[in-house]
Parts: sequence; structure tokens; C-alpha cells
Amino acid sequence: MNRELLAKAKSYGFSDKQIAHLTGTTEDAVRAERKQTGLIPSFRLVDTCAAEFEAYTPYFYSTYDRGDDESTPSTKRKIMILGGGPNRIGQGIEFDYCCVHAAFALKEDGFETIMINSNPETVSTDYDTSDKLYFEPLTLEDVLHIYEREKCDGAIAQFGGQTPLNLALGLQANGVTIIGTSPQNIEVAEDRKLFSAMLEKLNIPQPSNGTATNETEAVAIAARLGYPVLVRPSFVLGGRAMQIVYSDVELSQYMRFAVEASPERPVLVDKFLEDATEVDVDCISDVGQFEDPAQGTTVVGGMLEHIEFAGVHSGDAAMVLPPHTLSQKVIGVIRDYTHAMARELKVIGLMNVQYAVKGDTVYVLEVNPRASRTIPFVSKAIGVPLAKLAAKVMAGQTLTALGFTQEIWPTYWAVKESVFPFNRFHGQDILLSPEMRSTGEVMGLDADLGVAYAKSQIAAGSPLPMGGKVFISVSNAHKRELAAIGKLYVDLGFELVSTSGTAAVLMEAGLKVQKVHKLSEGRPNAIDLLKNREIQLVINTPSGQTPRSDEVKIRTTAVYTNTPIMTTLSGAKAAALGIAALKRAGYAVRTVQEYYPTEVARPGTGK
Amino acid sequence: MPKRTDIHSVLIIGAGPIVIGQACEFDYSGTQACKALKEEGYRVVLVNSNPATIMTDPEFADRTYIEPVTAECTEKIIVRELEEMKRLGVTGKLVLLPTLGGQTALNTAMALTKSGALERYGVEMIGANAEAIQKGEDRQVFKDLMISIGLDVPISGTAHTLEEARAVAESIGRLPLIIRPAFTLGGTGGGTAYNREEFDELSKRGLELSPVSEILVEESLLGWKEFEMEVMRDRADNCVIICSIENFDPMGVHTGDSITVAPTQTLTDKEYQIMRDASFAVIRAVGVETGGSNIQFGVCPDTGRMVIIEMNPRVSRSSALASKATGFPIAKIAAKLAVGYLLDEIRNDITRETPASFEPTIDYVVTKIPRFAFEKFPHADPTLNTQMKAVGEAMAIGRTFKESIQKCLRSLEIGRSGLGGDGKPWRIQGDMLDDRGPFPKDLLIQRLSVPNAERIFFIRHAFRAGFTIEDVFQLTKIDRWFLTQLQEIVALEEELAALKPAQGAQSAISNV
Repeated sequence: MNRELLAKAKSYGFSDKQIAHLTGTTEDAVRAERKQTGLIPSFRLVDTCAAEFEAYTPYFYSTYDRGDDESTPSTKRKIMILGGGPNRIGQGIEFDYCCVHAAFALKEDGFETIMINSNPETVSTDYDTSDKLYFEPLTLEDVLHIYEREKCDGAIAQFGGQTPLNLALGLQANGVTIIGTSPQNIEVAEDRKLFSAMLEKLNIPQPSNGTATNETEAVAIAARLGYPVLVRPSFVLGGRAMQIVYSDVELSQYMRFAVEASPERPVLVDKFLEDATEVDVDCISDVGQFEDPAQGTTVVGGMLEHIEFAGVHSGDAAMVLPPHTLSQKVIGVIRDYTHAMARELKVIGLMNVQYAVKGDTVYVLEVNPRASRTIPFVSKAIGVPLAKLAAKVMAGQTLTALGFTQEIWPTYWAVKESVFPFNRFHGQDILLSPEMRSTGEVMGLDADLGVAYAKSQIAAGSPLPMGGKVFISVSNAHKRELAAIGKLYVDLGFELVSTSGTAAVLMEAGLKVQKVHKLSEGRPNAIDLLKNREIQLVINTPSGQTPRSDEVKIRTTAVYTNTPIMTTLSGAKAAALGIAALKRAGYAVRTVQEYYPTEVARPGTGK
Repeated sequence: MPKRTDIHSVLIIGAGPIVIGQACEFDYSGTQACKALKEEGYRVVLVNSNPATIMTDPEFADRTYIEPVTAECTEKIIVRELEEMKRLGVTGKLVLLPTLGGQTALNTAMALTKSGALERYGVEMIGANAEAIQKGEDRQVFKDLMISIGLDVPISGTAHTLEEARAVAESIGRLPLIIRPAFTLGGTGGGTAYNREEFDELSKRGLELSPVSEILVEESLLGWKEFEMEVMRDRADNCVIICSIENFDPMGVHTGDSITVAPTQTLTDKEYQIMRDASFAVIRAVGVETGGSNIQFGVCPDTGRMVIIEMNPRVSRSSALASKATGFPIAKIAAKLAVGYLLDEIRNDITRETPASFEPTIDYVVTKIPRFAFEKFPHADPTLNTQMKAVGEAMAIGRTFKESIQKCLRSLEIGRSGLGGDGKPWRIQGDMLDDRGPFPKDLLIQRLSVPNAERIFFIRHAFRAGFTIEDVFQLTKIDRWFLTQLQEIVALEEELAALKPAQGAQSAISNV
């Protein structure tokens, strides 16, 4: 290609990918041609003074307006940390937290740290977090320029969420050393066939499943598994387009409109385990450093039991650490499975596993040998900076050398609650689903589980009411538990409000209920009461896979009137526990420095 | 003036969970503040319920409360900390710094002021005083103040009931009208009303959502150009502009949802200087004694009339962007100003030579593009308006606007590698359209005239379909200078595409 035109295109910000597609060649070919003719970007400083004074903080950007290049690579050992790019639902501040910890840890260990990120809201893009900051897009082209320019010794791709993971194989193919768990082993966990083979070898159960590249295949798999099934595209974070489907019609609809299935990007179809308890586990491991994996160490950082039953995305679920209902036996099984998988995947760094527990059987739902969304939460809950330790392990240290070989089981409770943006998206139903929609999270800490839960609700902006009226409306499937829930609230001094069907069940159980019209029965109805602020809490569980429009209206009105709402029975029970605890003794505040044990040396904190 | 020695402990209020309009920029600002104040030897007490933040790591504060960010809870913390300080035999004061934790922190501090808690416990607020916060946040008070110092504002009135709102609408005399609830985050509950029915609906919602049941009904400035200035001031009344920012999207789209560019690209030096002077006048009149503020301006493209839209008397989302755009750490400097330093006493870390009273100068172009998540909310309206909907943002730096914007577009993680020509097809209401294929004209007109997340890409489609700069300007009101830049990118795209060999021929690359 005409060199002048290519240079002009680069100075107009065209990526190699755009140029390749437009001119009918490949990204690799464009890169090769640029390199051959010396057409590479120069790096300039962000220096506050338009180069009028000398600048000391190395904060750079690339440009094809060539000439001065202000980046002088040192001869130190260097590790590049790939950030997460812009925040979106499913990939937020948690990954920035991990990248910042990687920078701190590697600096401590004498490496020069090179951060790449494009998100201005973050701590990772603060110029004093890393030794050198490149404010650049996280694409193969841009990352390679920096890696080659700096002659880095390695790059960390497992801390920034899906963005750097998607780049890992391409970077590796272009000579980048990815440190920590190998991208090939990360791939094993992502590839359904390899993953199933691994579990079979380790004798670990998973829900029956299949992989479909088109609608016909999907329907056939569902017929074999039986409904309901959980469907989702492979290679996504945040449960994008993840759905529980109950019939052929729904499945066909999904395959036609919700996903773009292809042999390269198949759709995963899993048997959905109804009413199972989900558990998220984060562990750290150095086994991949050893010839004999048995010599390595794996430590479970934390087990988080979901409050909602299976089917709610782990990014949206409320969770409790340590688990509050699991038996020691189940906990032991979870620990064993976690260790076995870490060994098999030769993990160096972090690994997250999602389990579903039904009775005494523990199923593995998903394994991700990388930093997960829950790493900061677990780290704060146990007082050990897991991401920092993991970065050190990835750079060659062992857990034994770092002094972290024992699990920490706090004697207090940490409850995670999610925060949703429904008030911005009017008309959207608020039911929790396998597709993540929360933007953020809070933590409630206390010695009492009820208080910890209540604190998480206050922090999430919907404090539990201490009295007043509860509007209850549950699906038929939940009717048998209705009376027990109703009684919980009556005992706490609440008055119950229901529509006729539910009211009959409650009255039969001897509870006093105020009857209110259904939306179709006339006024005043439940919505009027909500709008008049006569209802202090709503308990509303969905009636089925296609919610009735009445329900959706009640739920969205609750959001709009800022009335606390529980859409699962387990949530309603937890709320009752929280209300009872607050009524008993209120709540007190305590610093994390006081929660963490001081008598035990805490690894990775320098104390 | 040296730092204050009467202060022993500083209580910093964090922003709580990440929500739309209040994201991890407040972890960035809070972390900087913790570091800066510890560096100065103060005991730092922090409250923030968000465990995913760096600031809540136990090393960043002396006392870290991962507890709810509410007035009630903060009061419990104050009581406990005063006892603790007594136990330690400390003589210095406990002060409260509320300007680094977004609207949440500011609202919490205001609630503690109103309930009398701060006075009761003798806790002084630093960084901003309650009166200044009130002046900056109460829209009517702010507008009256602006008029009193000779600045122009949009015609408006406040209302506490639907009847009052209707009366204000009557006096302004024409629709559309903007409804802005007082004291809500990121414009929650606000919107633009194009007809009476919509006006009633938005007014009611705004009144419901405002914690003080107050809304501002304002003349619409749809299509006006929008600018932001990041200003800092110290106790000796030194003022500096850290960064000027121009919105690519005209008024009507929330700044958090707009593509923005720093420094301003389409102002003459004279216009810029007028805006700079006005910014200083605003921060002085409001009385933000120390720290940063963000001031938003609207400019009519036809008449040049300049109005002040609003000011945030605290570190904001734009401050984080301005800090990253210039290298000037606004939050860190704000924390140091709050404890008594003057701008000329604080050294610039980057140059080590110049003081923080030097206004940053930049010789490059910074672009920020918001990241949306409408795919998660298929039943919600994807139109952009005065209520922020973006969940994140990407920023890029280049020597020209063209380089900067294309770098930023490929940073968004939406599968795009620049403005266009990357081969990724467009899915429009179930149809797949080729990226370089023809787009129906009515679709183009609709996507240009109604602000949406992908408007910039449709500007490219429009130019490829033969729309002129004037056509696109009339539909979008985006400044012609920006449109010219985009048109030049499109022209080069066509030049590149012309090199593509016909099917079956050899690649252009190997034919050099």
C-alpha cells in the first residue's frame, strides 16, 4: 500500500483492523507492513505543561504525529498489567481493584509495573499507581506496541476481566509472555467439551448439558435434558443473554432472536437445577509453578452462599460469607473439588468456581481460573488482599513463602447486596435473572447475621421497615410456604395486605389480612396503596416464566415509590431476620481494622 | 498559609455503591484524598459501604468503616470516634470532608448539618461549608445569585407542587421545558417535556424523587452548545482553571451521556476568556472557599448568548476526567486545600518545579465517550436525555481530534475498531445491515435527530449516504467543526476502500 496513505490513515486514528478490512487484507499483514517501513507510533507525555518544564511522572499516550518520543524504557524487570477498559454491567470496579493490587504487589517485589487502561474513572489510571501508565485502548495492536517498545518480561491478563482475557491468545501468538495460569488452561475452563472432559476425569458432577450451534441442535439437547434449561452464549461475562427457558417455543425464540450462534461461538445448554443453593468460591493457588502439582498450595479465600436460589446471576445475588446453611460435609466436598480443579488446571493465581448444591450433591456450574468479581469482597471480608498475593504468585513467589497457607473463617458475617439501576430504566421489570443487571455492590458486616443483612439493605439504599404494612403476593408454587412467611411478619408486628387468593391462604392459617383489590378488580388497588405510601414492604415472587402484567406494574411501582421489595422467598426470610435483629438491639459500627485479627500475622499486608 | 494544626482527625465520606451517575471516579478521588491527608500526618477516618473500592483497603485510612453511608450511621461513627479520640487523650479536632464522595457524601453531610448533629458534636465541615453547598445545589438560590452577579441563566422557576409547576410553565410560555428535581443524583427523575401531558408526568415524578419535593422548570436549551470548566480555589482567593471541556453532543443530553472533548475546540480565545472569568465569578459568589468545582455553560449557536447551567461544589465525574486529561490531581489538591494549604504552596508532582497554581496547558486532544448497557434493559427507552444512563466511559488521547476520537471508539468494548469500516454488521430491529452497505434514509434521519448511544456511527452512515455537513448539522445541532472532522475520516475511509482488490484479485498490500 502507498506508504503516505497508510501514514495518513494512522494519523487519522485508523486501527490496523479497519485498514485491513477496508483494503481487503489482514490485521497481521497491515502490522507487518507498518513495521517493515518503520511506521510505528511515538509515545508522548501527559505533563500538565505542554512540555515547557521537565516531567517526572511517566504518563503516556501514543500518536502517529511522529517526531519526539518521550518514553525511555528502563532496563529493569518489567511486568505489564492489562486493565479492564470502560466499566459496564458485568465488568466494573472489582477488576480495577485487582489491577491496582497487581501494581502495588509487583512494585513491592522489585518489578517495574506498566499499566495499560482506557478508563478515566479508575484508580489504575492514577499516575502514581504504577511505575508507568499508558492511557491507551486495550486492543491487540495498541498493547503490542507498548509491550514491544518497553520490552516487558511478562503481562498479566487475568485481572482485568474479559477484556484482557480476550486478547491473551493473540498476544501470546505475537510473542507476549502471559504470566500466571496459562491462557490454554483458561481456555479449558471456557471450552465446554474440554471442561466436561476434565470434570469427568476428576469425577466431579455437573448439570447435564450440551452445546448447540443452531436451533435444531438446541431443541434436541433440551429434549434430552428435559426443561427447564439454562441457555447462554459462550465467552461472555455478566451473563449477557443468559436465560432460563421452559419450553421449545421459548427456546426457539431465544435461538432466533437473542443470540448469534455459530460453530465458533456456540450456545451452551445446561439442565437447570431448580431450588438449588448456589455457592461462589474464590481460591488462590501456586500449583502451576511445580512439576508435581501435589507440592503446590491451594487456599480457599472464601465461600459465598447465595441468599436467592439458583438462577440469579452471581453478580446480582445477595451472598453471605461464610456460608450460613451449608453442612460441614458439603463444605468439605466443595473444598476438595476446588483443590482438585486448581491442580488439574495448573492454576497460578486466582480461580473462581460456582457450585450448585442440591441435597448433599455438589454440582460445578462454572470455573474461571482468573480474578473474579467477588475478589475484593472476599479480601475485605477475611482481611487478606487476595489479588495482591496472587500477583506475587504469578511473578514467581510461592504461597508458603508468602505465609498464606491456611483458610480464614471469620467469626463475623459479611453480606453482599447488589444495587440496580432500575430507577433509570422505567418500564423494565426488576426480577432477578441469570442476566446480570446490577451496577454495584455493598457490604454489611456484623457479628450477627441479621444485623449484617439489615446493614447491607440500608447501604444499598432500601432500608428495611421496622413496622407497618407488608403487601404479599406469591406464585402458586410458593403458596405452601406462604403462611410461614406471613407469620414471621405478623410476629414482628407487621400488618399483612393481600389480594383475595393469597389472603384466603393466610386467613386459613389464622392470620389477619387486609384484603385489597387486584388491578383488574377496581380501586383502591395495590398500586394505589403503594403510591400513597401505605405499604412499607412488598413481597412479590414471579408467577411463572411469563410474568403477568399486574405483577410487573406492582414491582415497577415499588421501585418508583422507593418501597423495599423482595422478589424471592429467601430474600423475604432474610429481611425478617434483619428486622428482628434491628428491633432487638439496633446496630453498632466497627472498623475493619478492629474486625481483622491483629494477633495473627496477616499475609501480604506487611503486618 | 501552612496546614492547619488544630485538626487531628479527618472523616472522609465515600460514595457508597456504584450506581449510574456515581461510579468508580469517587474511589479514585477518595483514595487520593486518603493518601494526601495521611501524608500530612492526619488520622484518617473513612466511611464507605462499597467493598470493591481501593479506598476501603485497610492501609488507606487509619479507621475504615465499611458501613452504610447514611446520616444515621455517620453520626454513630462520629460519636464513636470522638470517644476514641478522648480515650487517646487527643486535643485536636475531628473534622468532616464531604466533597470527595459525590452527591451521596454531600447529601449525608447536609443531613447531618440540618439535624444539628455536626453542631452538637462540634464537628466542623471542611472543603465546603453548608451555606456554599446550599447555594450551589438549590437551583433557585443559585440562579438568583448568578443574576445578582450579572451572569445569564436559563429562564426558569421552582415548584413544590404540580400547580406551581404549571404556573411556572405558563410564565415561560413555551414547550419544550426541562424538569430538574432538586438534590438528586445525575439528574435522576429529570427530563424534557414536549407536551403538556408529558410535562405533568415528569413534574410529578420529579417532585416524588426530590428529597425536598422541589423541581426546577426551565426553558429548553435544546441544540445549544455545552461546555464545562473545572475550577479550583484556595482560602486566599487564588483561582485556577484546570481544564475546559466541550460537549460534542449539544444540550439536551446529560453531560455523563455526552461525548466530550478537552480542551474546548470551537471557542475563540475571547469566548474562552469570558467563560474563564465567569467561572471565577461563580465559584467566588457561591463561596466555595477551598477545593474544586465544576461549572456548566450553555452557548446559543445562533446568537452567542451564554448562560450558566449549573455548578457542582465538589469533586465530580468531570473532575476525574479533567485530572486524567491534564495530569493535574484535582482530588489530591482539593484535600490539601481543605486543610489550609494555598495553591502556590502545593508542588505539582509531575514537573516538581511548578506549583499547583499554574494552570495546566495541554498540547493534545482528549476524548471521552460514554459506555451504555441498553442491551440489558430491552424494554426501556434508549433515547438519551437529561437523565444519565451511561454505565461507564472510555477516554483516549491523540494529537488531533480525529486520532483521539477513533482511539476512543475502539476503546469502548462494543466490538468496534474505530468510526467504521471494521466489517462488523449492524443489527437494526432484527435486520442485519452491512457496515458499508446502504442505510435507509428515514432510519438515518431518525438516528441523527433523536439522541442515542450510536449517533456518532450514524453520522458516518449519513455522510456515506451523501448527507452534507449542513444536513447533519440541522438534524443534530452538533457543531460543524466536529462534523467536518468526521467527514474527513469518512473521506479517508473511502480512499482506503478504493484500494480493495476486486474479488479474486491479489491483496492491495502485496501489490505495493
